[in-house]
This record gives sequence, structure tokens and C-alpha cells, in this order.
Amino acid sequence: MTPFYTSISKKMFASNEGWPVTDLIQYLFNGLVAGSIFAIAAVGISLLYSVLRLVNFAAGDFLTLGAFITYFFSVTLELNFILSIIISMLAGMAICWFLELVLWRNLRRNKAGTLALFLVATGVALMLRPIIQYIFGTETRRFNVDILKTYDFFGARIPQTQLIVLIFATISILLIALYMAKARVGKDMRAYANNPSLAAVSGINVDRVVMATWLISGALGSLAGVFQGLVQGQFNNAMGETLLLSFFAAVVLGTIGDAYGALVGGLLLGLFMELSQLDIFFGGVPSNYKPVVAFAALVLVLLFKPEGLFGYRSRKV
Amino acid sequence: MEAFIQPGFWIFVLAMAGIYGVFSLGLQIQYGVAGVMNFGHVGMMAITGYAIAILVIRFQWSFWWAAFVGVALAALGGALLGLSTLRLSGDYFAIASIAFAEITRYWILNSDGITGGTQGTLAIPNPRGFGGYTDQPDVILYWIMDRLTPYLGDNASRDLAILLVVWPFFFLFLWISARLQKTSWARVLRATREDDDVPRSLGKNVFRFRLQALVIGSVFGGIAGAFWAVQFMLLAPEDFLRIVTFYGWMILILAGATRVKGLAIAAIFFGFLYGATRFVEFWPISLLSAPERSYLRIFLIGVVLIALMVKRPQGLFGKRQEMVLE
Repeated sequence: MTPFYTSISKKMFASNEGWPVTDLIQYLFNGLVAGSIFAIAAVGISLLYSVLRLVNFAAGDFLTLGAFITYFFSVTLELNFILSIIISMLAGMAICWFLELVLWRNLRRNKAGTLALFLVATGVALMLRPIIQYIFGTETRRFNVDILKTYDFFGARIPQTQLIVLIFATISILLIALYMAKARVGKDMRAYANNPSLAAVSGINVDRVVMATWLISGALGSLAGVFQGLVQGQFNNAMGETLLLSFFAAVVLGTIGDAYGALVGGLLLGLFMELSQLDIFFGGVPSNYKPVVAFAALVLVLLFKPEGLFGYRSRKV
Repeated sequence: MEAFIQPGFWIFVLAMAGIYGVFSLGLQIQYGVAGVMNFGHVGMMAITGYAIAILVIRFQWSFWWAAFVGVALAALGGALLGLSTLRLSGDYFAIASIAFAEITRYWILNSDGITGGTQGTLAIPNPRGFGGYTDQPDVILYWIMDRLTPYLGDNASRDLAILLVVWPFFFLFLWISARLQKTSWARVLRATREDDDVPRSLGKNVFRFRLQALVIGSVFGGIAGAFWAVQFMLLAPEDFLRIVTFYGWMILILAGATRVKGLAIAAIFFGFLYGATRFVEFWPISLLSAPERSYLRIFLIGVVLIALMVKRPQGLFGKRQEMVLE
């Protein structure tokens, strides 16, 4: 299992030469790229928690699935890359739609408890992983894009793919925020998350809200997976699973259940993880400990501010 | 189908069942009695296993002292985890406990000089050159094998010796756990599982009771780690992935979270699943390669978890009304 953090980007683009500001710019850029992907994945997890009280342990594997489906259509079948991404998002939505119909809806009717939701989500992850492995194999894959082209920005090296990912991820984040604020379903979602019974009596179709939440998280999972695959340069079937706890850290940091908070939490966590490698932080955290930075951030937030950055102390945690 | 009638297969299945049975007994005390959802249980196994390997190989300790200290360290790990995060509510604690296990694993993975890193315990720096850590327990295991060989021939394997050592311990622990369930201590914990405020109003320190359950469970996780270390004779970081914790959870849920005796049967079922996807050669399993089979095992465990939670959340032996906790 290759930790994504030792991706080629790190080896290729981290340089010891140049002035110190170069390093800062480099890590800021890397942090923004990583953070924007965390944000997209975290918002899906956070929405599911706010609406269903479900900690989605399968979220990581939906990322992997998205990356592999995009790979299949764009590299194996040589379709247009953007079209492939859209197909993979639709596939992610379709799987979430199916699981909601056959699985989650029944569990809700049976008033399943926290543990049941935990274990079923884990079960989904455990089933999804071998399926991905069986269909797409264990080999390391890479998208058919030019990962070598870089731009020079004050000595920092900005790879073209990462720049494109950052731009598209930023657009996606803005669209998600806009959707949550303005669209009918987005508003219903927030209403339902706030007070399910009140939302139900005021005429909100609960099943529709839940389904919309699943579809959004399915689409965002695939999208984040493609972005992550692009940024890493190469990926295998352990990609999403490795990242899962970092997403949870982003979700908790931005207040669990708060979609806007998850966006901010994701960005902050990405920046924090990258900047922790700068020399000024205890001589810099070695890059293979980067996941530990995320886990430690998760534990520290849980210890000292379990309500997250945007929550109220009064909330029972 | 031949493998199913070979004694070697069933011996392996039962040996694994015993080890994972002890492992899930820890979860049973944590969740079944105290309602603590620990998803980082594998961390305790890793701590004890690696403590034994490092102390024996590098520092030339006796295996028995190393095992004792290893289990104590697992208990300490449980105490640290609990003291820091057990005040959080269920789902927060579950996430924190996974983070605990993963931090442990990443530390093992990246501390080559101490743990051997990715190469596992074989690469632990050793003053005597190459060395294992099972020499002392092996004396006992081989003694058992020598006694049985006249009667059983080739079937008197190391697996059988392990089985004969592990299962008496497993039954002893099951008996202790069953006794524990009848104490007033467990009654308080069962009350906290349903509702925090009632025991609190009786002056019970709920946090301390839960912490005790977590530590006791961690001790069982550590003991399972010691057995595991002896059974496989070398350890590597990928032996302690998150999935192992869910092996334990599957056994627990299969048995019914509050059923102590069901654990033995559920553990055998798990051992069968583990062994069958590893050794058995018949269609359609024979179409799969070795790594694909390990994935088949993970897939089947996912299926069992989902099927149980949807159809029979109280497990095979549990009572429905005891399962509806949250």
C-alpha cells in the first residue's frame, strides 16, 4: 500500500534551493490543492451526518471507485476526460441511489442505532473494496494527462494538473456552497438536519431530502477521487481508504454536520498538513508522517474543541 | 472439497478462532457491557505484539516478561485512549479510537530503527544477528507436539499445539467474563449503557466505570496480540490494518453483543471464513488467486456485517430487546 503522501509530486517538486519564501509558496500551493480536495470529500460526509447521523465509513472507497471509473472510460475506452468524470459522478450517484433504496431506507424504518449505522457503512466499504479490486485490478494507474508540465511561480513549481485541479475544485466548492444556500433541496436539507420532526410536519418530503443527500455525496465522492488521482499522479485501490481519516479530521474540525464548516475545515487541514513540513515547525514534520498530522489534528480537536470551529459549546458531544 | 475433511484445515480454523475469540471478548466487555464503541481495538493487539518482539529480539528479555509488559502496555494504551477521549459521545469516540490505532500503525511503519518498519519484526536490530522471539513459547509447543506425535502423526502440528494452549485460556476468559457480567460493576455499566443520568444520580462515576471496561477490554486485546505473535512468528505493520478490528466486531455481533457463550461459536464461524478463503481449493474459489481470496474474505465479512445488522441485529444468540441500545 503506497501512502498517497509519498506521491511523485512531492519528490519532483520539493526543492531545497531558492529563497525560503519559495518553500512557503510551494507548501501553500500544495496545501490549497490538498485542502480543496479534502473540502469536497468532507462536505459529502458532513451532509450525510447532518441528515442521517451516519458516519460514512465507505466514503473513502467511493473516491477510489470514482477515480477508477474515470480511468476506465478515459484511458481504456479513450473517451473525453471531462465526459468520463461526469460518467463516474453519475455512477457514484447510481450506487448511492441503489444503496439508499435497498439498504439505508430499511435501516431507518427499523430505527437502527449508531452502532448499526457504523457497521453497515463499514460493511459497504468492505464489500466495495474487493469489487473495485476484482474489476480494476491492483495495479497502479495513472490518468492520460501530462503530469510533467509545470509553471514557475517565484521559484515554486506549480504543476499544470494541480493548478487545473485547484481551479476546478474551487469552482465546485463555490457551487456546493451556492447550492446549499439557494436551492430548494439544499434548504430542505439544512431544515431537516436542524429539526427532523419539525421539517417533516412542515411538509418537507423526508425521503426526497435523504435521497438528495446521498446523490450529492455520491457525486462529490467521485469528483474528489478524480481530483485526488490527478494530484497524486498515480493511484491504486487503497487511495480513498488511506485518506478516510483525514476527511473525518476535516469534518470534525469544521464542526461535524456543518456543510460550510466542512469546506473550511478541509481547506484548513490541507494547509496545516502541508505547512507542518516547513522547517519552522520543529524542523519540519517528515512527509511520511503527514497522515499522522491529520490524525493528531483530529484527536486534538476532539480533545479541546469537540464542537469544531463553528459549533456551539452547548451542543451535546 | 477435500480440504474440509483434512484435520489440518480444521486445526488452523480452531486456532484462529481461539485467538480472535479472545480478541473479540475484549470488545464484548467494552461494548456488550459498557456500551463503548471501540473501533481501534487492533491497536492493542499491535502494541502487545510489537512490544514482545522488540523486547525479546532487541533487549534479550525473557518472552514471558515481555508478554507481561506487552499486555500491560496495551492496558496503558487503553487507559490513555480512554482518559483523553472517552468523555466524548459514542460516534466521536469511535472515530478517535480509529485514529489511535492508525497512529500506532503509522508509528510502527515509519520507525524502522525500532520496529523494523515495512519489513516487519525480522528487521528489528538484534545484537545476536538474526533472531525470532518465539524460542521460549516454542519449547512448550514442541513439548506438546512431541507428546501427541505417537497418536496423531503429522497432524500433531504447531497449529494444534497453539490450539491446545489458546482454547483453555479462551474458556477461562469466557468464564471470567461471564462471572464479571453478574457483578454489581457490570450492572452499573449496563445501566449507563441505557441512560447516563440514572447511575449518575446514584453517585456512580460513570466515566470511571467506562474507563475500567475499556482497560479490561484492552487487556484481552493485548493477550490476543500475544497469541497472534506466537502463532505467526513474525509481525508486520499490515497485520494490524483497521479491518482486523472489524473481524472482532463481526464475531461479537454474530454472537450477540451481550451473549458471552455465543462468542466461541461465532469465533469458530469466523475462523472457518478465514481459513476457507485462505486454503480451500474447490470451484469457484479455485478460480481466484491468493490475493483475490484475501479480498473475498473481506467481501464476505462485509456481507455478514450488513446482513446481520439488517436482519438480525441482536446476533444469532442475542435478545432483540437488549440490542436496541441507542
